[in-house]
Amino acid sequence: MMRSMPEIPVIDLVHPLPGFPDQRRFALVQLDEDGVLCQLRSLDDPNLRFLVVPPVSFFPDYAPEVGDDVVADLQIESVEDVIVLLVLNAGESLSTTTANLMAPVVVNTATRRASQVILDDPNLPIAAPLVA
Amino acid sequence: MLVLSRRVGESVVIGEDVTVTVLEVRGDIVRVGIDAPRSVAVHRAELLAQLETSNREAASPSDDAVATLSKALRGAQDG
Repeated sequence: MMRSMPEIPVIDLVHPLPGFPDQRRFALVQLDEDGVLCQLRSLDDPNLRFLVVPPVSFFPDYAPEVGDDVVADLQIESVEDVIVLLVLNAGESLSTTTANLMAPVVVNTATRRASQVILDDPNLPIAAPLVA
Repeated sequence: MLVLSRRVGESVVIGEDVTVTVLEVRGDIVRVGIDAPRSVAVHRAELLAQLETSNREAASPSDDAVATLSKALRGAQDG
């Protein structure tokens, strides 16, 4: 049984999302009862949001390794505190919706610090079909 | 832009704690080693540009798109 995604009222991005240099504070909000589809909503710009999902339902083998710099940045002390979110690019239907496996958003739920981590793995696509 | 010529094995120091060393030159491929503190993010420029584009495309989907996706996902899970 999957742990449901926690809702987090304020997440601090220690580095802004590439493309959005001025947005540092987001809320993680569930969009369905199962906690699968969630959104990161900007607290500074109410019009800005990103759809995110936990990888496990869609990419069960996805196990990104983050470097010591990320562990230090997010002040990670226990792996239990960490959640990984994939940013979705919503298409017109489920079949054209893609997930960014190259750069997941890693959140330390203990410190509420987060960062979009660029994984140094050429096999991870930036736009993987969410469902095969 | 500052332009410098370097040979293999030679370095450039940027600021107090970033060193870029030319490791190998083979044809049109140059391998560089970058020594920088953890606080300095080092990325391939095109990767970062790609991510910026992807993030902009992903930003703020319409309510319709979200509703469609949410419904489809629920269907997929139930099925």
